[in-house]
Amino acid sequence: MLKQYLSEDTMQHKTSVDNWEEAITVAARPLLNKGVIDESYVEAMIDSVEKNGPYIVLKDYFALPHAQAGAGVNEVGMSLLTLEESVDLKGNEVKVFLVLAAVDASAHLDALSEVSQLLMDDEKYEVVLQGDLEKIRQLIEEGNE
Amino acid sequence: MYKFLAVCGFGVGSSMVLKMSIEKAAKERGIDCEVENTDLSSAKGTGADAVFTSQELGDELKGSTKSPVYPIQRYMDKEEVGKALDDFLSTKD
Repeated sequence: MLKQYLSEDTMQHKTSVDNWEEAITVAARPLLNKGVIDESYVEAMIDSVEKNGPYIVLKDYFALPHAQAGAGVNEVGMSLLTLEESVDLKGNEVKVFLVLAAVDASAHLDALSEVSQLLMDDEKYEVVLQGDLEKIRQLIEEGNE
Repeated sequence: MYKFLAVCGFGVGSSMVLKMSIEKAAKERGIDCEVENTDLSSAKGTGADAVFTSQELGDELKGSTKSPVYPIQRYMDKEEVGKALDDFLSTKD
């Protein structure tokens, strides 16, 4: 379940960052601090964008940074960074970064499916884009009802 | 029934989202299909009626798969995914 991963200590809001690499690094920091991921996973997420292109931008303003399951990942985790000012990610403006750390092909799927339902709902997505963490948490709670 | 592949670099995150978008768009069009999400290297050895992936990965795949490759920019964009699906279907008429 999504709320199991996205809680107060894994959600951050910032006014701005200098570039998308910094955004991914900042977004991933709570997972790093909790020991969910290792430093190598953060590097792998950045390398992947360099190598595979910006397909982690799943829709306007939203990116899902991730890399190989289980490589530098100790347990399933997600962390969120919302930005007041969007940052360029290889030609795409992004305001919301949701870091995904997977251990295998399936353990995170329920949570990911909740994320996708949230983002495909225009009204809810608008709330996510506004970046108010308290409101986003409410949405996540409601999603579980 | 068609078999589609949704491909990203690792087969765990974006491709899963793309799979959901394809299923949704297919349902709206009344298409019977099975969508498998996978990483780039497994995709190379898997046959399918069509492969959906990013521009960059698509370029890499084209040389190593016989299946038609449809590049998708926004994996969660239902309209874009739907258009790619329509393009595929128009080759089947």
